[in-house]
Amino acid sequence: MYRYDEFDAQLVAERTKQFRGQVERRLAGRLSENEFRPLRLMNGLYLQLHAYMLRVAIPYGTLSSEQFRMLAHLAEKYDRGYGHVTTRQNMQYNWPKLPDVPDMLDDLASVQMHAIQTSGNCIRNVTCDPYAGATAEEIEDPRPMAELIRQWSTLHPEFSFLPRKFKIAVTAAEKDRALIKAHDIGIQIVKNDAGEVGYKIIVGGGLGRTPIIGQTLREYLPKSELLAYLTAALRVYNRYGRRDNKYKARIKILVQETGIEAFREQVEAEYATIDISDIAVSDAERERITSYFASPDFEKLDNDPAELTEALGNNNAFSLWAKNNVADHKADGYAIVNISLKPKELAPGDITAEQMRATADLADKYSFGELRTTHQQNLVLPHVKQADLPALFAALEKVGLATDNINLITDIICCPGMDFCALATARSIPISQAIAERFADPERQRLIGEMQIKISGCINACGHHHVGHIGILGLEKAGVEFYQVKLGGDASEDAAIGKVTGPGFSEEELLDGIENIVELYLVRREEGERFLDTYKRIGMAPFKEVLYA
Amino acid sequence: MSSLKHKGKGPQAMTANELRDGYSVWLDENLDWTRDYSKSLRTEDQDLIDRMQLKAETDEAKNIVVGTYFIDIESDTGKPARYREKFRVAGPSYDTADLLETK
Repeated sequence: MYRYDEFDAQLVAERTKQFRGQVERRLAGRLSENEFRPLRLMNGLYLQLHAYMLRVAIPYGTLSSEQFRMLAHLAEKYDRGYGHVTTRQNMQYNWPKLPDVPDMLDDLASVQMHAIQTSGNCIRNVTCDPYAGATAEEIEDPRPMAELIRQWSTLHPEFSFLPRKFKIAVTAAEKDRALIKAHDIGIQIVKNDAGEVGYKIIVGGGLGRTPIIGQTLREYLPKSELLAYLTAALRVYNRYGRRDNKYKARIKILVQETGIEAFREQVEAEYATIDISDIAVSDAERERITSYFASPDFEKLDNDPAELTEALGNNNAFSLWAKNNVADHKADGYAIVNISLKPKELAPGDITAEQMRATADLADKYSFGELRTTHQQNLVLPHVKQADLPALFAALEKVGLATDNINLITDIICCPGMDFCALATARSIPISQAIAERFADPERQRLIGEMQIKISGCINACGHHHVGHIGILGLEKAGVEFYQVKLGGDASEDAAIGKVTGPGFSEEELLDGIENIVELYLVRREEGERFLDTYKRIGMAPFKEVLYA
Repeated sequence: MSSLKHKGKGPQAMTANELRDGYSVWLDENLDWTRDYSKSLRTEDQDLIDRMQLKAETDEAKNIVVGTYFIDIESDTGKPARYREKFRVAGPSYDTADLLETK
């Protein structure tokens, strides 16, 4: 885990102190709301539909158990006993009070956390593959690079007032768990023909009201050139990105209007003007950062220990959970454990303070004190001994965190929607809960197999509905909620935007329609096909027919 | 945002958010802020509407509330006309906090 250096600690301490003064001046009336609003947003504090909302940054989705306990403390002391994991791997609190926020930020700073750059037209918190450092699929751990970008982008004077917000995602595996093609810039660690490790740079992806899949800007960028190249790309965006219309201000619109070839030429021309040595990171510095992410001291173990195989044979509930929620680890005898935050009774991504503390304890006991948040609004314990899986499962069951639905139809991504968000047009949480109820039967979920439903409560698409196998967009007309459906979206390395089926539905019609789609898929699927595969093979028409039947 | 725009015709209520706690509030008959919508002043009387406007501006300047604005009210039901405003009145239809309180 990365530890703050003296500069990080000083910066966060100063920023927190500044915000305390700003809140005091606001409460005393020495700052107007117009003056205060940009200041609070720079510290992650929004005023939502019913109350303030504080968004805490979780850089690249990596947390220590100590930090997770602090998030539990915040939920309990300053909020209403729970937090919400967002689709950018952050944690949101729905009910903080303005006078408490400086104390919350002080508490966060005590465990090297903050809420800086979780809002505003700046480079936002960098997101990352939640399996980073644990999966054998990656070329190397992408988090040192993500940390480098965090340091470079934090309060970057040139890029603090961009035309619009800027989101970067990173991965080091071919299998994309970070949605890099739907980010302003996506970075994949790759090897060139000479076997050297560097970066593939993807630009101009994004969801929102204009969903676009990112395009390759550079097939291969040497490691030492990363920050200089990002600087060039950001400069071109800063110069030409539209500031006259916030709906056309993201880099995806600039790249689309300019064309990728011309945009690339602009970036390369800008890049040629930069003295790379000015900004290049030395090998020593890169190694220093990387050293913080060194693998834990894994024991030399064998795969499939007796404790595991015995439990798989004797305990059906454990066996089903292990099959669904556990992924292969790079070290023999270890496993990556996904903890679903999609039990039927809670909103997707919500976790209580009690559950946070329990998970932190389990991370200490079974996963070297480390855990991750995912953009799919779940948690990951990255380094668990396979022999410990039965005990971990039993402990998770006790706190309601053993739901075995990862990547199944009830593992739904869902934004807060009209229940909390000031921008929403319709509710999304009740829709996800109704779908979870309709498909509650675990056997049926497993029969259906991999199915990603994603729900957004407005066209801003925080619920990633554009890339859902089934995407649902909540809208409202004349005081009535209705839901538009998309099919065929894909959030993987084969990223694709789903296609709208046609007119929207009421909630009840929507549930029946999804049921019909699922039934058709089960009838028409061929051996080994996921829903998405069947959709790609037979197309929209048959699904549309049953959806509107 | 809701597809229904504020028309400024028919009954009106004045709403805002508390500066300190952030909660939604409405002006009541005494021109005090209440978190209880059922106690809110909903009126077509232009004199009262003018007084509500003045009170809202004053309290915003005094840093008691933020983001004051009038909302249209349905004459027959007394509820806000806009869907979004109905939600501000009703609160979340789901909140994990409610589950915790019932435990």
